[in-house]
Amino acid sequence: MEEEPMSVVFQVGANGVGLLDPGSETNNVEKGAKVDLPFWLAHDLYLRQATSINVPACFNQKTRKEIQADAACVDLRMRCPYFYELGCKTVPLVGDKSIGSFLLQAFSSRYKEVLSKSHSTPTTTASKFLPRLTKEETQLFEAAQSSMASFKKWRVGGSRLEKASILGKKRKTTLPIDPPSP
Amino acid sequence: MASGSEPWSSGVAEEDALIGETTDVELLKRAWRNEKAAPEILQFQAALVLRAREQIQLLEGTVEEFVGNGVDDLAVSLYQMDLDRTQFLLRSYLRLRLQKIEKYMIHISKTNLWNRLSEQEQNFAKRCTDIMEKHLEQSVLSRLPFGYQSILKQSISSEEDDMVPEPQLDTFVFCKTRGDVGAFQLDDTGDEMVDLVADDLYVLRYKSIKGLVENGQIDLV
Amino acid sequence: MAGQSDPHLSIFSAPEVEFLAEDEVIEIVPNIRMESLHMICGDFGPFFPQIAAKVPLWLAVALKRRGKCAIRVPEWMSVERLTQALEAERESPREFQTLPFHYVEISRLLFDHAHDDIPDEYMVRSLIEDIRDVRFHKVETGLESISGRTHAVKLKNLSAMEVNIVRPFIIRTLQAFYKHDSPQMIQQPEATGNRRSQVADRGPRRDLRPR
Repeated sequence: MEEEPMSVVFQVGANGVGLLDPGSETNNVEKGAKVDLPFWLAHDLYLRQATSINVPACFNQKTRKEIQADAACVDLRMRCPYFYELGCKTVPLVGDKSIGSFLLQAFSSRYKEVLSKSHSTPTTTASKFLPRLTKEETQLFEAAQSSMASFKKWRVGGSRLEKASILGKKRKTTLPIDPPSP
Repeated sequence: MASGSEPWSSGVAEEDALIGETTDVELLKRAWRNEKAAPEILQFQAALVLRAREQIQLLEGTVEEFVGNGVDDLAVSLYQMDLDRTQFLLRSYLRLRLQKIEKYMIHISKTNLWNRLSEQEQNFAKRCTDIMEKHLEQSVLSRLPFGYQSILKQSISSEEDDMVPEPQLDTFVFCKTRGDVGAFQLDDTGDEMVDLVADDLYVLRYKSIKGLVENGQIDLV
Repeated sequence: MAGQSDPHLSIFSAPEVEFLAEDEVIEIVPNIRMESLHMICGDFGPFFPQIAAKVPLWLAVALKRRGKCAIRVPEWMSVERLTQALEAERESPREFQTLPFHYVEISRLLFDHAHDDIPDEYMVRSLIEDIRDVRFHKVETGLESISGRTHAVKLKNLSAMEVNIVRPFIIRTLQAFYKHDSPQMIQQPEATGNRRSQVADRGPRRDLRPR
């Protein structure tokens, strides 16, 4: 998640780090330069007041409208695989709490489908729907699906607690059961 | 529909009525379930574990005697099953705790959670921490630049120990009330109240009911 | 230790839940004589042929497998009672009927080991399946109505195995709502002062959010 690119504007000039700015012809980044940095670096520089952070494209007004229009079916992963996580971490950096409401709204309108699909859909149909989900949504889907699958396996007579063969052996000593050494 | 007095719907309410007769196996099961479901390590059930061990040893002796005396095979195999079940519970309980200790050893040793460990667990935690520190020291930390060599902090500029894993107390847990708890506050401000009556099943934040788990008013399921 | 997936989300395996259910007490009719058993988990017997006795389910199954007893199917597992339960389950969309906390596991153990003791086995089997389906659907519908930070969800009478199935999803969902609908993330309207919401006993899930 922390590798996600963030668009930042340098508030100070920085010498010797020209590689951060592909457009720079010197080895420096000039004050006011607009550069894409990975989140972790953008965040660190923001804390040092060296950069200001722009709202990432997946949270701008245009995208919000697109998503709100058909939240359940939008391909969020394409926009940002860590949509929610990045959103949460961006709010304090750009001071825009409307992003929070937007995340909540997006999640509310999408998780129902994740829920219904995860418990009943055969894998073949799920393969069309899964690629649209963000990492967070995928985890939710997989968690629900695997618990249902392990229940079904148990129900048809699969798993049972079995005694490990080693436990059958007689413990000759009467020592207290010490925690095993690491 | 089935009425509450029917034995099969009993569960918790009945257990309470029989509190004096609750077996150590029941208590061990409760401890095991709570330990399994709670994100942080709970108080070690020293007296209970001791009693369970004694009973296991006693029964092991009895079974051996039975075999010697030619007691009916069927009875012997049933006793053996009882023994296996109790041993499974005890071992699983102890192992669960070791897993939590391994995961959160540094956090545990820095907080009063330390007092929840048995003496043996404390020794285990110490040895484990030593070994891990040595290992990280030798394999990674000693080769990092000054300021990045702490096992606890990302760098010298970190204000907190930000490399120490801590249990997530904010997580939600499933729990069943044993008796009536009454009105209970779920958040810091008192805006969220819930009336917990006997045998209710709720999903709540662990943090908010931590106290009820610790004093035995609620069971995690 | 890298924590992408929280292992606490699926804390009990289905066989572990079954293990817990095996301590539920059930009635057997032995066909042998056997002295009392003084076990760690309790005292049982003495046993006499044709005289009913109460034992834990694991003990009943062990005797049954050796042909030493018949198991008396609990009353709630009769076609009549299950039919009533299914009807009641369908009629009250926001409530779960009272069934044994381990009804799923108990019934499966009996189907596996004592099917010849169950009258109308197939009917009983399908009724239990239907009941579980209806109840599961109720949980799903209840979950669908969550739309914001929720401090408590009430699931009175949900059974052990059902809890285990829905646990990963419910926990993750509640956590996501808790995180996204937080004062740090969202501009809250003016503080609501002393508005308190008490929980009434009226549904499989209760959204305690006051607004």
